[in-house]
Amino acid sequence: MVGKVDAAKGGAKSLQSPASNQATSKPDLSSISTTFSFKTLKLKTKQQELLIRVTILGLVYILAFITRLFSVLRYESMIHEFDPYFNYRTTLYLTEKGFYEFWNWFDSESWYPLGRIIGGTLYPGLMVTAAIIYWTLKFLRFAVHIREVCVLTAPFFASNTTIVAYFFGKEVWDSGAGLVAAALIAICPGYISRSVAGSYDNEGVAIFALLLTFYLFVKAVNTGSLAWSLASAFGYFYMVSAWGGYVFIINLIPLYVLVLLITGRYSMRLYVAYNCMYIVGMLLAMQIRFVGFQHVQSGEHMAAMGVFFLIQVFYFLVYVKHMLNDTKLFQALLRIGVTSAVAVGAIALGLGTASGYISPWTGRFYSLLDPTYAKDHIPIIASVSEHQPTAWSSFMFDFHILLFLFPAGLYFCFKRLSDATIFIVMYGLTSMYFAGVMVRLILVATPAVCLISAIAVSATIKNLTQAIRGKTTQTTTKALSKQQASLDQTIPYLKNGATALLLGAFYLLSRYAIHCTWVTSEAYSSPSIVLAARGAHGQRIIFDDYREAYFWIRQNTPSDAKIMSWWDYGYQITAMGNRTVIVDNNTWNNTHIATVGRAMSSYEDEAYEIMRSLDVDYVLVVFGGVTGYSSDDINKFLWMVRIGGGVFPVIKEPDYLVNGEYRVDKGAAPKMLNCLMYKLCYYRFGELTTEYGKPPGYDRARGVEIGNKDVKLEYLEEAFTTSNWIVRIYKVKPPTNRW
Amino acid sequence: MANFSIATVFIASISLLLALTHSFSIENPTDRRILVLVDDLALKSSHSIFFSSLQARGFELDFKLSDDPKIALQRYGQHLYDGLILFSPTTERFGGSLDVAAILDFVDSGKDLIVAADANASDLIRNIAAECGIDFDEDQSAVVIDHGSYAVSETEGDHTLIAADDLIQSDVLLGSTKIEAPVLFKGIGHSLNPANSLVVKVLSASPSAYSANPKSKLSTPPSLSGSSISLVSVVQARNNARVVFSGSLDLFSNKFFKSPVQKAGSSNKHAKSGNEQFVTEISKWVFHERGHLKAVNVRHHRVGETEEPTIYRINDDLEYLVEIYEWSGSSWEPYVANDVQIQFYMMSPYVLKTMSTDKKGQYVVSFKVPDVYGVFQFKVEYQRLGYTSLSLAKQIPVRPFRHNEYERFIPTAFPYYGASFSTMAGFLIFSFVYLYSK
Amino acid sequence: MGKSTATTKDDAQALFRSLHSAYSATPTNLKIIDLYVVFAVFTALIQVGYMAIVGSFPFNSFLSGVLSCVGTAVLAVCLRIQVNKENKEFKDLPPERAFADFVLCNLVLHLVIMNFLG
Repeated sequence: MVGKVDAAKGGAKSLQSPASNQATSKPDLSSISTTFSFKTLKLKTKQQELLIRVTILGLVYILAFITRLFSVLRYESMIHEFDPYFNYRTTLYLTEKGFYEFWNWFDSESWYPLGRIIGGTLYPGLMVTAAIIYWTLKFLRFAVHIREVCVLTAPFFASNTTIVAYFFGKEVWDSGAGLVAAALIAICPGYISRSVAGSYDNEGVAIFALLLTFYLFVKAVNTGSLAWSLASAFGYFYMVSAWGGYVFIINLIPLYVLVLLITGRYSMRLYVAYNCMYIVGMLLAMQIRFVGFQHVQSGEHMAAMGVFFLIQVFYFLVYVKHMLNDTKLFQALLRIGVTSAVAVGAIALGLGTASGYISPWTGRFYSLLDPTYAKDHIPIIASVSEHQPTAWSSFMFDFHILLFLFPAGLYFCFKRLSDATIFIVMYGLTSMYFAGVMVRLILVATPAVCLISAIAVSATIKNLTQAIRGKTTQTTTKALSKQQASLDQTIPYLKNGATALLLGAFYLLSRYAIHCTWVTSEAYSSPSIVLAARGAHGQRIIFDDYREAYFWIRQNTPSDAKIMSWWDYGYQITAMGNRTVIVDNNTWNNTHIATVGRAMSSYEDEAYEIMRSLDVDYVLVVFGGVTGYSSDDINKFLWMVRIGGGVFPVIKEPDYLVNGEYRVDKGAAPKMLNCLMYKLCYYRFGELTTEYGKPPGYDRARGVEIGNKDVKLEYLEEAFTTSNWIVRIYKVKPPTNRW
Repeated sequence: MANFSIATVFIASISLLLALTHSFSIENPTDRRILVLVDDLALKSSHSIFFSSLQARGFELDFKLSDDPKIALQRYGQHLYDGLILFSPTTERFGGSLDVAAILDFVDSGKDLIVAADANASDLIRNIAAECGIDFDEDQSAVVIDHGSYAVSETEGDHTLIAADDLIQSDVLLGSTKIEAPVLFKGIGHSLNPANSLVVKVLSASPSAYSANPKSKLSTPPSLSGSSISLVSVVQARNNARVVFSGSLDLFSNKFFKSPVQKAGSSNKHAKSGNEQFVTEISKWVFHERGHLKAVNVRHHRVGETEEPTIYRINDDLEYLVEIYEWSGSSWEPYVANDVQIQFYMMSPYVLKTMSTDKKGQYVVSFKVPDVYGVFQFKVEYQRLGYTSLSLAKQIPVRPFRHNEYERFIPTAFPYYGASFSTMAGFLIFSFVYLYSK
Repeated sequence: MGKSTATTKDDAQALFRSLHSAYSATPTNLKIIDLYVVFAVFTALIQVGYMAIVGSFPFNSFLSGVLSCVGTAVLAVCLRIQVNKENKEFKDLPPERAFADFVLCNLVLHLVIMNFLG
């Protein structure tokens, strides 16, 4: 909070020359020791301003890091969620075996028996970054464990993002806006949600890379320098290596170029910036194995190529026009040239798409344009909770006051249109659209929203403080003096009004800071692998069942045992349990996942056949009936049915529902009461009393008494149930001896 | 005198040690100690030819009455016997700690069993049989009657004494010499449970047989009839325990061994029935004197190398070796067959090849790893009737090419190499020309 | 119809003549750059033609060849823009700086091409 108020004040102060006089005059009145120290430190305005800016940035840097440390302080330094466990495991492999082994890694422990070419199917940026930090620290003789480095990578890069945001804001508006942007993005919940300490995921690094690329590109467009353009190509390369969301960059920048061309704001600098960035960036991006040739073959990247060709044609025509100095001839040439170019381009695109050479938009990105696509066609994408459309409450939760500062900032940007502000406006609008389609993409919109809101805040506060200071502003332009004149007419109320508004602005910003800290503490700092709840006396109870189960697996099963579970837990089982799994979170093979889904939804004997064919030794299910944990497998079961039924029509969703309703109590469908998932979750549960006053077998997560209490298992036997019954592990029995 | 006693004690202990080492072990699969449970000690003499032939082959038989309270199959977790013969069809309950579960446990731990039922077989015997996939006729009083191929004799005229010659064709089960004379059988019939895939009919009844009570009139068609009636069946369990079920106890008796037999409808008069040969051969099979295989020394390596890698690459050439031996009753002989196949398996076999042998027990095959990466298994599934099943599976991952294992310097790409180098050269020339031209 | 074709033909000829005369007025160093660009584009077209005949088997080699030509062409055009005295936006940019940037970009380009080629 201190940083916030300083930022606002600093932004205002930097433009007032008499302010420095006030600053230096004040200490002269204080005690001898301070006058002594200040006299020796007599600074000029520019140096004072620099000191203030550096101090503010330093404080914001530290703030961004510290506010993400809640879960480390409350629980311990561990990796959260599911995907970060895979990233951790790959980073571990990279640091142990070196880069060449990592680049060629074929993992036979996941997706049994298909295996997975990890080296060619991941984005290596995050792992390489963490490994470099680790090796640097080792070189400096700091012996830290790689896990600590992984846990703290995301906050470190969040701090770096604030610095980039400062420079970007300075490029787009002025340094005051930059400072405000840095401060806003340091604590914005939309960004914190994916970059807390422990969330070792691609987005932590990717947002830094995204903002860096955009900043370098805008700088290149502003200066027209090949060096900055090359730097933005490298930024793009880093982004491509870090996250699949680089598609946003490779579509936004061509769109921006197109807008500039159409509105006539093009210049030679644009040509230099875009061409160098596109060609060198594309070449660098194709070095990542996972991306491969997509830049020339995939429909999502065709916009960039189209704009590239268009810009060549366009600038060639501009050159010819310049050469000719004769409009009539040029019009003729223009007509021929443009029509032929557009025709050729359209034919090429059409041929490419029709012949299948240019692959159409993949489902992941197509569902952004058509949000209803995934639910009908790709249940796996639709089943992830992060992929659902965003509700207003999420926007409010993640942005708070930035939500209404965003339109205000847009207004300011339109008032002062330049290449940079057009870019930020486009970034803001497109990212807000996508944030509305998918909850996960609020993350991509956060930097734009923070920057534009920072412009609003900075411009407003500047105007207000100008109004307060009144006559002492320089009259640089006639417009300003006219404004001053009009302002001066209503001085008394103006000054009070401006002070009141300024105080109101500070109040809003302080509420924002409080909200962000509260959100970070309550909502975004939970490692989903350790659950916490309040006990009967208000004390905190920790459920560490997941890790208990994974360590049991690690210590009590043969080393070549294969574990079947739903794909959510795959990464954690491989990373912590160190055993082979059948499917994991990568979800690259839908048929394999559907086979597992089918096994879970079939009767026990059919499921046994499927499990024998996959060589499964153990089955793991997550059950929240005893603790009331609601993200367990019974709640996810319908998605298993849908995904399994999508590939094997023998599984039909209506078989498990009663009148369209999903139930587990006495009125449930008979197939539901006897399927493998039900039996494994509720085995022996019918004898357990979970809540005072309720009958035995009362499921606390669903709030009903279960229907089939007498579960008998024929082909499996119970191997382990954790202390709060959250994770249950069953062993698959070998076939009977005499049959 | 003291020295003499010490010497005898010493020699006795050594011989005891030697005797103990002659018990059943992996290296010597033939059973040694067999418990015989009878419900009437007179069986010792009425079936003496069978028992003495067993003892002549080196088995130690321990006779006990079936309700002897001192019967115990194991003590302190160790099995006391390697085989069990149940010649007690009428026993309702065994003595000691023996019951259906204990007997099945005995089989499931790898030991062998011969069970003989008879008319009036008790529920105990029927339950043991049902657990192994053998369903005796539910009618307690039914026996097998065959008006078509009964044994011609002067005394019994209700055709319950059958001369059966529908034997299974298997050299492993019944030996290489053909059993010429029919086998005399008098007892109950059983059918095989269709859900069980391990049970095999050794001696079937003829198509004219049926199972009914000989003393009462048939009101409904009999449930068991024709060749689906099995008279003697065997089960080889997945852990290679072997079980023989016979519906007749008299099959093993001296009387049937020695009597001549003439099948109704044929003019051949055999001086001796085939029972002795049949019973001897089947007992040799049950007690692992024949048809017992072991597969050892599985190795695999790339062609040209000797050490065993932990991971293969696609399109590698590899070689797989295994040694298979057969127990001849006293030693391990190389097993010679031309139908041992190996699969390179990942959810379905990608490679299926027959292994070739050098006749000394070594089987070798070499093939090319398919163009698919994943976690494969070297699978040898060898299940032949009568032989122990060999089920070897060795898991091995197969990786794709590394980034530097692809072809380099491809001829069709030379223009592209040329173009890239020419642009580099052009860049150098251009920069010189540009900088130094005025 | 005849008149319009005649006029388009005349237009084309007039176009060509005025372009030719305007072009000869450009300074020598820009002409050198233009020659370099033409050479690069020409090489790129040859490669595309070759690929159309033979097929795109080592696709990475094809891409690296074409992109190296296109990249040099584009970078040379950027240099031309920055060095051309008629462009008022770049009058503060010293030509040495422009050339240094050009060399740096080309170095990066060729290094990446070498990695991508095989």
